[in-house]
Order: sequence, then structure tokens, then C-alpha cells
Amino acid sequence: MTEKQQANRDWWLGVGHMVSHGLAEGAIKAQRVHLSIADETFNILARNPVTGPVSEQVRSVHHGVSRLCYGTVSLVSDGLARLSQQALPKD
Amino acid sequence: MSWQHQTSAIVSGFIGDWLEAQGNPLALPMTFQSLGVKVPEASPAAAVADPKATLIVLIHGLMELDSVWQFSGQPDANYGTRVGDELATGASTLCLRYNTGRPIHANGQTLADGLERLLGSWPVPVERLILMGHSMGGLVIRSACHAGVGSGHRWVRALQDCVYIGSPHDGSWLAKGAQASARILKALPRDYLRVAGEVIDLRSDGIRNLTRGDILAGEGELAGLVPDVRHYVVCGLLGRKNNPVNALFGDALVHQSSARGERQGGWNLAGEASFEGIDHIRLAHHGAVAEQIVEWLV
Repeated sequence: MTEKQQANRDWWLGVGHMVSHGLAEGAIKAQRVHLSIADETFNILARNPVTGPVSEQVRSVHHGVSRLCYGTVSLVSDGLARLSQQALPKD
Repeated sequence: MSWQHQTSAIVSGFIGDWLEAQGNPLALPMTFQSLGVKVPEASPAAAVADPKATLIVLIHGLMELDSVWQFSGQPDANYGTRVGDELATGASTLCLRYNTGRPIHANGQTLADGLERLLGSWPVPVERLILMGHSMGGLVIRSACHAGVGSGHRWVRALQDCVYIGSPHDGSWLAKGAQASARILKALPRDYLRVAGEVIDLRSDGIRNLTRGDILAGEGELAGLVPDVRHYVVCGLLGRKNNPVNALFGDALVHQSSARGERQGGWNLAGEASFEGIDHIRLAHHGAVAEQIVEWLV
């Protein structure tokens, strides 16, 4: 492998490391944004006498599914970030 | 200049301190360049043809590369080569490439050490060293001078001229705005707004240093200009004279007062020039600015 090819390979490894780390952190932040915006709506629904009785159950399901999805993305990305960290050049 | 280098420069500006801490190859190492070729500090003769006794080093700003100095349609021409062309003995011009996300004081120390090695192995004795910095580059020059004086470096004795081009000595309004926005958003009672504040807060140490123009490790610490050196300041202005947009935005990123270092107190400048209608980026490669620099240095 030439020096240029090695540099190119290292550069793409760096991109992979940065993107996977960004996805792992970004998924958690996106989850917080998603849930807090959703809470605004659920809070309104909770005050409505018609929707109030079921809104908490819907909120609970919605938040649970969301946490599962974002958490999965974050976990997988974190694993990729750790793997790419190992592959980064050491010097 | 490859798109990969440009990408690395931009990413390094945003999160270069983190990239460096992680050992990520996207973090640009500090290197001297001559016509796009890396100049080894220990053996510069291998990369520089016909080295001169006058050495000019150009230092770019945040998220920039050495390509910012190139004149349109003349990739080998920059302020250094213009000055060199006018000097009877000529001059060698090098461009610095570095990770602009690192703290300015760290880049200043690395530059000071690099200059010491470079001048120590320069094929001919360097009689005159000229440093020119665009934007953050000017702050890195001041920081390197402080580090060089503190370490008793020999290159400081050869340093005769420093040119600061659109450098935010008192900070940049945009960096101040980012800091204020992050602080306000993080104090709000909604999580989605706090996340926005946290995302702004991800900015690098280099960007944070531009809030107040910090060049030393201690925040808000003032550092005077290195003595026995001629210091020149170049300011850009978006509009023509008396245009209110100048008072609001300066050259788009840096106010005229900040470029002059008015809050630094008692600077004795050898020259100062303002250019109307020239924005922050064009200050690094503009014919009118080149003429002024040649007039000062030749």
C-alpha cells in the first residue's frame, strides 16, 4: 500500500469513527428532543377531559417505543465507534 | 488542494480538539507547506528550492487551509510571494497548515517550537522573519510570540514584522453570539431547547477562544505585543464608509475595533489600514491589501 493509499484509508477510518460517534451521541439527543416535544402535545391531551384518560397510556407506549428505537441506534453506533477507534492509526 | 483536506479543515475547526484527543486522522497536524508540499522542519532544503535569508510564514484562520492565501487564478501567488518579488534579496514563503479547533495557546506553543526547529535547520541563516496571520492566524502568531519569548527561542530574534489581517484580538461577535445563545438555551425549561444549547456547546476550544480573543491558557488574560517588532493591522469592512452595516458586522465576522485590538490597551502599531468593501475571507487574498502590505514591508 502506498503512502497516499494509506493516508486515504486512514482518512475514511477517521470519517467512520466520527460519524459513528456522532450517531451514538446524536441519537440520544434526538430522543430527548423527540420526547420533550411529544410531551408538549401529551400534556395538552392530558388536560382534555375526552383524551385525558387514555393519553398517559399512549404517552407511555410512545415513549417506550421511541426509547427502544433511539437506544438501539445509539447502542449499535457506539459499538461501531468502539470498533473504528481500535482501527484508527496509533501514531 | 483535495476536497478531503478541505473537509478535514472544516471538521477540525468545529471539533478539532476532540478529534485530536481521540487520535482521529481528520485532525490536521501542524505542518509548514511550500507550494502545497510539506516542508520537514528538520530538513527544509528537501522541499524548498533556493531558500532565502528572508522567511515569510502565512498562517490561516479558523476552518481554513493554506489555499485561502491564493489569488484568484494564480495558485502560486500570495502576500508572501508579492513581498518576496519586491525585496531586492527575495524571500521564501511558507504557509502553515494546522488544526484550528485546538486551543489557540496550544497552537501558539506548537508553532513556536516548530519555528525554532525550522529556523535552526534552514539552509541559510534567517536574517528577517515575517509572520502574517489571517483571522485566528493572527492570534496564533501573538500566542507563538509569547511562547517563543517565554522559552527563549532564537527565532524571536529574527522576527521583524507581524501582520494581523482581520484578526479578532478582542473576540468575534459570532463567537460571542454562540456562547450567549448556548448559555440562554441551556437555562430554558424545555429539554428540546437545552439540547440545542448543548449542540452549540460542542464547538471546539479554538472557537471558544475567539469569544474574547484568548491567546494564553488563562481565560481573559491580556498579553501585549512582543517588543522590538513592527506590528501591522489590516481591517476589512463590508460596506463603504459610514455604512451602518460596518458597525454591526465589521468585515462580516470581526469588528474593526476588535481587529485593531482596541481593548488590549496601549498597542504601538507600525501601521494600520482599513479596506472598505472587502469581507473577512477576501482580506486574505486581495490586490489592495497586497499593495498595502508590500508598501509596509518593502
